[in-house]
Amino acid sequence: MVTRNPVLVLKDICKEFPGVKALNNVSLELYPGEVHALLGENGAGKSTLMKIISGIIEPDSGEMYLDGRKVQFKSPKEAMEAGVALVHQELSLVPSLSVGENIFLGRWPQGRWGVNWSYVYREARELMRKFDIDVDPRVPVRNLGVAEQQIVEILKAVSQPHVKILLLDEPTSALTEHEVERLFKLLSDIKAEGKAIVFISHKIDEALKISDRVTIIKDGEKVITEEKGNLTEKDVIYYMTGKMFESNVSSHNADPGRKAVLSVRGLSAGILKGVDLDVYAGEILVIFGILGSGRSTLARVLFGLQEYRGEVFVEGERVEIRSPLDAIRCGIGYLPEDRRKALVFQLSVGANITLASLREISRKGLLMFDKEKELAERFIDELRIRTSNSRKRVTHLSGGNQQKVLFARWLAKSPKILILDEPTRGIDVGAKFEIREIVKNITKEGKAVLYITSEALEALEVGDRIAIMRGGKITKILPNDRQLSKSDLLAEVGGVVKV
Amino acid sequence: MIDRVEEKVKITPKNIGTLVLKGGSFFGLISLVVAFSILSPFFLTLNNWLNILRQVAVLLIVACAQTMVIVSAGIDLSVGSTLALGGCLAAVAMSYWGWPFLLGALLGVTVSALVGFANGVIIAKGRIPDFISTLGMLGAVRGIALLITGGLPVPSHFTATTLRGYLPRVLIWLGSGDIGGVPVPAVIAGVMVIITWFILSRTAFGRSIYAVGGNREAARESGINVDGVKILVYTLSGLYAGIAGLVLVGRMNSANALMAEGLELQTIAAVVIGGTNLFGGEGGILGTLIGGLLIGVLGNGLNLLDVEPFWQRVVNGFIIIAVVVFDQWRRRKIST
Ligand SMILES: Nc1ncnc2c1ncn2[C@@H]1O[C@H](COP(=O)(O)OP(=O)(O)OP(=O)(O)O)[C@@H](O)[C@H]1O
Ligand SMILES: [Mg+2]
Repeated sequence: MVTRNPVLVLKDICKEFPGVKALNNVSLELYPGEVHALLGENGAGKSTLMKIISGIIEPDSGEMYLDGRKVQFKSPKEAMEAGVALVHQELSLVPSLSVGENIFLGRWPQGRWGVNWSYVYREARELMRKFDIDVDPRVPVRNLGVAEQQIVEILKAVSQPHVKILLLDEPTSALTEHEVERLFKLLSDIKAEGKAIVFISHKIDEALKISDRVTIIKDGEKVITEEKGNLTEKDVIYYMTGKMFESNVSSHNADPGRKAVLSVRGLSAGILKGVDLDVYAGEILVIFGILGSGRSTLARVLFGLQEYRGEVFVEGERVEIRSPLDAIRCGIGYLPEDRRKALVFQLSVGANITLASLREISRKGLLMFDKEKELAERFIDELRIRTSNSRKRVTHLSGGNQQKVLFARWLAKSPKILILDEPTRGIDVGAKFEIREIVKNITKEGKAVLYITSEALEALEVGDRIAIMRGGKITKILPNDRQLSKSDLLAEVGGVVKV
Repeated sequence: MIDRVEEKVKITPKNIGTLVLKGGSFFGLISLVVAFSILSPFFLTLNNWLNILRQVAVLLIVACAQTMVIVSAGIDLSVGSTLALGGCLAAVAMSYWGWPFLLGALLGVTVSALVGFANGVIIAKGRIPDFISTLGMLGAVRGIALLITGGLPVPSHFTATTLRGYLPRVLIWLGSGDIGGVPVPAVIAGVMVIITWFILSRTAFGRSIYAVGGNREAARESGINVDGVKILVYTLSGLYAGIAGLVLVGRMNSANALMAEGLELQTIAAVVIGGTNLFGGEGGILGTLIGGLLIGVLGNGLNLLDVEPFWQRVVNGFIIIAVVVFDQWRRRKIST
């Protein structure tokens, strides 16, 4: 590989945003036929680097060579024409257009009578099959779940002709293991065609599995580029964070008290068919299941975002939850799987953190700014949200830090029952440990957490009990004791469910 | 934690450049003022400025409300009609029915607020787009004003003689009086600007307006009563229009059902020139103040220069576009 010429060379790339040096003299070489993993903490500068390569933003200084020729992309279009395709960290599809239209956006094949739609939809269906997903390519993208949208986004990039360099910014954060496997297969095919791939992920095992070489950046500076064979997961974490983390499958509270904070009887809505469930004070109950098993629907129903039939009890009292306001009054908080739905991008980090606590930070309708600042800064520190100050706009934070802001919103509100739908999505290793600790601590205060995840290891690490969800039903609830293993869980959730 | 970059102000050509960039529409306003001062000797006189303030007051009052509406990701096309209805009702009550000033004023303002409330309820509960509901109101409310006045000015030449009296002094003072040389309308507009600034930046309700406008779903999921916020914002919009109606009637010494036509577009222009995002979630009252003044200065300047009225419209339109294009360009410049 070393004998070949690099397809892309970056030299001393620098980029500064107001108050942050996002990239400082970063150099990188990318070879044809390699998968290059780019790793680093939240806010390290990974996405910024991708945006520079793909012409979305211009670097302050530094040079870029494509096939040995110096290039300076002034727009994403120029980069695309030169053969650079980017899968954004944040989904950027047109919600009202169909799956097919999105995949072929801007390059719809012309037939004799205008766009050849039958070709578009046939191709789109074929492409979706590669992920075992059987979605009608004519439905608008807004009707799809996050994982499916992510797949459409990936297909849109990989199906472009003349791609030389494929940049994938956290393509797997919303995917379950099954789709990740499919993606990896697709990537090996692309790699075999001699294309270069940059792969960003916070799941380090995954990144080490797919990549040939690894580059780690920290605080905008490159730490190291290494053949993956020379690195262990521990090394990577050390280079990323400068610390060692021990995976501690610490003691679980496998026998929580008998006081149910939240009970659900015969709950039906959409895909849910008669769910019964008790969540006890002081426990973390994991809901584990695959894509389309109804986990997120359950969360949405409990937060009043979807109509339901059945009974819900909070601390033994029957409640009707018809809106998020009802849910919040009952002491329920909810972190949705798609952060774009929950952040107000025009507002500051502080305002986003305190958004659910407006009553707590105001007196007689007047905002008390000192109180707001105090609350916001407490959680900025506690969750180590990387922002120059609490007045910075939340759009300008990196993806993982935005996720932390949402987390902070509910920690600040401190509800009795907290529903978390994939809370560690896009969050770096170090922060994942910390968040797990924080979640454990809040259950010590007698609060209950409903924790939805599609990662078996995460389920085992956080859950006191693990409820298996399958086809809209809770099929089993397992106490999380020493005997429980990852393969047990995977066996329980069963094979592929067609969506 | 990353330290904030300290901004040291040194006057270099580059700094002037960034100053211009940060200022945006303010820079547009200043350029107009400079241009008109050079072109017309009367422009910079105190009298002329008091005049501008008097003329721009009604626009500013209504633009304050429009700012709140637009920040909440709505739009209120009915403000001009609502103003006319409120003003006409108040005038009819005071002159024909012989109501005292306070009661007549209360009637006009309350009915205006009710129109806004109706808008809010239709939009929030009926799930009708803001544009459609207020467009409907724009026509309907103007029609009601015409029905009430029979299309005649209030008080009109013949009714004034046959029926009772003229408009009360207080009302005329509201529109044409002054306090220590400052026109009363300007004082009222100033107070409304301050109140609106206070609502938007200091209250939980104001914060909710931004949240609802920025991401309705996120606001709802944070426990904000989205429908309530919408209804209150539109009610305030009606209320402000009612107050502006009193000022306008006082200034013209008469009400008529066709007054303030096209005001909705002028207020929207003022808000947008002020840098408030038409899609909601960001913006503020300071920008609107500048936007309103810019429109006022432009009209006044073109008048002083004896530009023909038809040409005034053309120039007006293009300058508004130019300012907003400049503003957009400037924002892109800042954000990357
Ligand atoms: N437009 C912007 N304005 C201001 N600061 C920005 C902007 N974009 C990024 N930043 C800052 O630059 C730094 C790097 O951000 P970047 O998005 O590249 O991080 P990342 O490595 O992709 O993190 P993550 O893993 O969370 O996605 C962060 O501190 C972020 O706040
Ligand atoms: Mg990123």
